[in-house]
This record gives sequence, C-alpha cells and structure tokens, in this order.
Amino acid sequence: MTKVLNIGKSAEDGLKELLKFLLENGKVKGVVTLRKTGEDGAISYSLITNPDDIESTAPLFPLMLVNLAKQLSRLTLIEAATEPIAVVLRPCELRAFVELVKRTQGSLDNILFISSTCGGVYPLEMAVKGNIEEHLPEYWKAVEQGELAPNTRLACQACEYFVPYTADVAVSLLGNEGIDKETMLFLNTEKGEGIVEGIKGKFAEGELATVAIEQIRSKRKAEKEKLSDQAELQNLGIDEIAKTFSRCIGCRNCSAVCPACYCHVCFFQTETSQHERAYYERELEKKGCMTMLSDTIFYHLVRLFHVSISCTACGQCADVCPANIPLWAISLKMGDAVQRTFDYLPGKDIEEGLPLTTFVPEEFAGIV
Amino acid sequence: MTNTRKGASLPAEGSVQKGIIDFVKQALKQGVFDAVLIPSRVPAGDSFAYFLVRDEAFLKGASPLPPIMPVQGARVISSITRRGKGKTGIAAIMRPCEARATIELAKLAQVDLEYVTIITVDCPGVIPLSDYFEGAGKGDKLFEDASQNWNSGPMRPVCRICDKFSASGGQDIHIGTLGTKSGSILLIPNSSKGEEILNRLGMSAEEDISGWEARVNKLIDERRKERKQNNDAVRADIEGIDKLVQAFSTCINCHNCMRVCPICYCRQCHFDSDNMKFGFEDYLMRAEGRGGLTIPTDTLLFHIGRMLHMSLSCVSCGMCEDACPMAIPVAQIFTLVGDRNQEEFDYVPGRTVDEPLPLTTFEEDEFQEVEQSYAAVSARQEN
Repeated sequence: MTKVLNIGKSAEDGLKELLKFLLENGKVKGVVTLRKTGEDGAISYSLITNPDDIESTAPLFPLMLVNLAKQLSRLTLIEAATEPIAVVLRPCELRAFVELVKRTQGSLDNILFISSTCGGVYPLEMAVKGNIEEHLPEYWKAVEQGELAPNTRLACQACEYFVPYTADVAVSLLGNEGIDKETMLFLNTEKGEGIVEGIKGKFAEGELATVAIEQIRSKRKAEKEKLSDQAELQNLGIDEIAKTFSRCIGCRNCSAVCPACYCHVCFFQTETSQHERAYYERELEKKGCMTMLSDTIFYHLVRLFHVSISCTACGQCADVCPANIPLWAISLKMGDAVQRTFDYLPGKDIEEGLPLTTFVPEEFAGIV
Repeated sequence: MTNTRKGASLPAEGSVQKGIIDFVKQALKQGVFDAVLIPSRVPAGDSFAYFLVRDEAFLKGASPLPPIMPVQGARVISSITRRGKGKTGIAAIMRPCEARATIELAKLAQVDLEYVTIITVDCPGVIPLSDYFEGAGKGDKLFEDASQNWNSGPMRPVCRICDKFSASGGQDIHIGTLGTKSGSILLIPNSSKGEEILNRLGMSAEEDISGWEARVNKLIDERRKERKQNNDAVRADIEGIDKLVQAFSTCINCHNCMRVCPICYCRQCHFDSDNMKFGFEDYLMRAEGRGGLTIPTDTLLFHIGRMLHMSLSCVSCGMCEDACPMAIPVAQIFTLVGDRNQEEFDYVPGRTVDEPLPLTTFEEDEFQEVEQSYAAVSARQEN
C-alpha cells in the first residue's frame, strides 16, 4: 500500500496546486513542466522559478515536443542540480533519463520526479496542424475510461509501460473516473511523502497498480501485436530492412531526438566514417552502381545495435522522420527482443547495471 | 554564363526524362563519362535517391527530374569528392539549386570539381517530402501533371518563388526543356568543358535557342515578382524580436534544418558542441532572470547563428523546410535574409566558381555608411 494524497481539484489543477505549493514553500527552487508560451498556444517545456508562473503551465498536455530525458541530461550534465527542483514528465521520459544517468549523462540528485499513469501523447504533426485543443475532451474521456484515445502516437498505443515506476509522486489518470474533480497523488517514495508535508488535502492509503491497470496493460499488449503486424516487419530480414529504410534521406534526425543516442559526436558524423574517393571508385568498379548517400542502412543498423537495450519506445524518432519510416515499430521490436534476452527493462531501477556492463560467464551458452 | 547563344537539339521520344537518359546512355557508352550521378527510383519504389552509375544497365530506374528532393545533390558530390583524389570522371545530373550549392561547397573546399561535370535541367520544382510520403503513391501523378504545365502550385513554397530554375550558374551543360517543342530537349554548353563534351558526342550546338531563352526570361520575371511578394509577406511575419521569437516558438531544437542543408558543412556544429552546454546554476539563473527558461534552450540563437554562417551562400533549395518536423517556414525566412545579404555584396551563390565568397575579400571602402569614423568615435568618447 502507498500513501495517497487527494487534492479536491481536477487532476491538472491539483497538480498545478502541488507545483505552486512546492515553489511557494521553498521546497523546490524550480519546476520543469510544460507551459503555454506563444500567443498561438505553442507549448514547450520550461524551467520556472516564480510560483506565479505556474498558472501558465499545462503539466498534463498530451504532447511530447522533445523527450525531456534528453533535456534533463543537458541541465545536469556538467553539474547535478545544485538546488532542489521538481520535474513533471511521462513514464517513458523518466525511464530514459534513468538510462542516461546510468551512462553518466546526468544526475538524479536534487530532483523530485512527478509522473502519471500515462494516456499517451498526440503526434507532432497534430501540433503542427494546431488542432490538439479540439481533441482534448475526447482524450480525457478515453483516459478516464482507461482506453486509448484515437490518433495518439502509435508508439503510445503500443505502450505497456505506462506506470511510472520510479517517480516520487505519481498522478493517477488512466482508468480513474474522478480526474475531473480530484487529484490522486501516489507518494511512492519517502522523498515524495516528505515533500508534501503541509499541503491542503486528504491522505489515505491505496494501490496504483490495480486490477484495472493490469487490464489496460493486456489491452495495450494486444494493440502492440496488432500494430506490429500492420507495420509488416515480421521477419526483419535483409530484404525487409532494405525495403523499409530505402527512403531514408540520411538526415539522422532519429538520432538527434533520441534520448538513448547520447554520444556527443555520432560515429557517422566523424571523419573516420567518411570514405575516400578511391573507395567509391572501387565499389563502383565492383558493383556498377551505388546508392547515394551511402551507408544509410548501415547507420540504422548500428543505431539499433547501440540503443535497443535502452530504448524506452517513446516514439520521438518516428515523429520527426521526414520520410515517415515506421521507426517506432522497428525500435519497439528490436528493443523488446534485446531487452527480453537480458531480462532488462530500461529505466526500471537505477541500481540495475546495464547488461553490457555486466558479464555472466554462463549466459548464452546456446549461442557460444 | 558564356555568350554562347546556341544549343544542340536532341530528340526525346516519349518524354523529356527519356531524352535525358538517352543522352546519358550515349555518353557512357562512348566513354565520354566514366560514371553518372543521376536521381533514380529506389528498388522499393516508394522514393528516389541519387545513383552513382557506371554500368548503363543500372539506368533502368533513372529519373533525372524526380518529384522530390530527398537529399540535396551538393551533399552527395561532397561526400564523394571531399577526401582524396580520383580518376573517374563523374557527370552529375542535378537541379539548378543543387548545382549552385555544389559550386558554393567547392569554394568552401568541400567539393573537388576536378573530374566532375555538372549538368543541370530546367526545373519545375519539387513537391514537399511530407506531401509525397503521406500521399501513398499519389505524389508521382501530382508531380507529373504539375510539372508538365509548369504549374508550381503543389511544389515546395521556395520552388514557387524560384527565379533561378534554369541555367543559373555552375553547370557545364544545361538542358533546356521549358516549352521546347514536344519530343526534344536542348543541350546548351555553358563552359569549355561542356562544349568539348558535346563535340566528342558529335552534337553540334548550332541551333538557335532564342525562343527558349525568351520563355525562360518571361518566367524569371514572373517569379521575381512572386519572390518579392513572398519576401514582403515573410518580413511582415518575422520583423522585430517579438515576431521572430514567435516564428521559431515551436522549434524543437533538433537541428535537422542544419543537417540537411548543403551549405552547413561543419563536421560539428557549434550549437551541438560542448561550448553550448552549461552548468545547472547557469540555467537556473537564466530562468530566474527572465521569468522562466524555455526548454530546449537557445533555439533562436541557433537559427540566428546558422543564418549568419550560411545565408550568403543559401541557394533557397528548401531542404530545411522540408525536413523540419514542426513545419516552420525556415526556407522562406532564410530566402528573405539570404536575398538581402547577397544583394548587399552583389553576390549570387553558385553563379561562377571563380567569384570569391564575399567574406574572403576585403574592400576598404565598402559599407562606409554603416561604419563610424575614427574621428566620430573618439569625439564621443571625449564627451
């Protein structure tokens, strides 16, 4: 059983009240959450220090413009947070950040993590069209009923890890029919319990992972199978790979937005990866024809190889691909397979070593 | 541009594209080109890529004027020629903006033009990548219909205002197609190398091309007007710091505009480097100082920095806008700024390879109107 704080306001307002409380009472020095910035309703993450600015935030707005893990890494790479801050983020972002911290790309110190049972986000293209607001009633209705809102990211529709494992505070959203009038904050950690001391609200005990949550998970698993089939990647043999990636334009934006791709200079950006002119002449002599730019499929294979153990299937890669390659499905399939092999769920536990940093002499006897 | 006002007319049975492929085949066969770089349909059929072809059997999927520009050709030439010397002569069939970007990259030592022949084709524009990939096969027809009538409606916004769609510089041979009588293309030599190639192929450039030239010039005039209108409209949208911030407010800082830009050639962009990573204290201070810090940070600084670095060489190809996941009109903004900057230096990027980059030359008496004289500065200091 977990201690639960109930604030008698809608989930978004209750969460804003918590953030304001934390800032006003000096419990944190800053808050990172989504905020309405532009006149045209543009949304972005923002680091806020003034409690009055909480009013303009939209912590639960269903859009992931950037994966916050990557940004938190930037904030805490050179030094850990020197003052306490609270961060509102989605479960996949939190898991991705834990993975980055394992790779020494950031620090968890001094950060209070607030997350929610996540109903998913809308694709970036919907933000471009500017019609997310219209879909919000439909979105929240689906969340209350524990359903998948139509038109959400395919990666979200196939996501079974929508419960924030390591969050200090988790807002109950999925399948919670009371979210329009009450905010149920599950205080998962001592830090979470301690920090809300003095806030107005009712305390009780409860369980975040209920039977309803398990049912939602089963539904998502079924959806994942279905979507995976639709993406037609059953075999992922060389022919499928060549076919899928042949329209890649070589922009590497999938890597640029990926929280697991943390290299400061990607190998494929380096001088080492560039071929001599003589190489092209040799290849041309041999094959009679070359596709340019070269090495695009090689790039994707290497990227999959590098990130699949830590991929949290956030779907950011697919959303930014100018060629509409179903990268979310490919990453999900690869990630699932690799992670299952090592019995590893990225970001679930900061203490759990990355599989490639541990060596078990008797593992994989079958293929050695 | 040379003063040659003559060209060779070549029969093009069926289509302009077929005519160009036949020309390329003949040149390969006769050993005038060792290899050809030509846009082609990928085997999966759903996109196009540059193929570097030595064996003419691989010209089967060739499509000299594909409906989209998935990769800017200048980047392809750069990746092939940047390192080491070669001996294979490559003829590149490109769109005019790709040729001009290639020339700019040659000036920046990112392209070696030795053994490279540039052949451009009158360009009706390309349709945006998003329209093509979302259109599930409809893109080919859309482009075909539009390009046949030189209808720029479905094309990239910067293609619609392009006034350098024809022989605009950098090429050895230009292929004229605008309004040529059906079943023929015009091969117009634009350098001594180009003339020599046509001679070796036994094609005499004797035909009068003034009709084609008149049609091209007429369209250039129309496009210039449209370009001015569009530039004015963009200026109204972005002028002043508030509007500029607004224009880039949805930027997710992915830097894809930079990565697909043919001119952004730095191996590592300053904005991706450690110089742009700061300590936590710094971010917190900025947040406190200005009522919240938008994350990702420094997005506008990136765009202004990029603009400063490449706008003199910007050929308005539109790759940046096509690759932007947030549909920010990057290419139109950069076209406005590029036009202004280039005009100040009377510089047309890619016009000729001999024309030096403006920032590599210094003229003592230029821009005196924006300078302050030593006397004025010291007088102010004394006061």
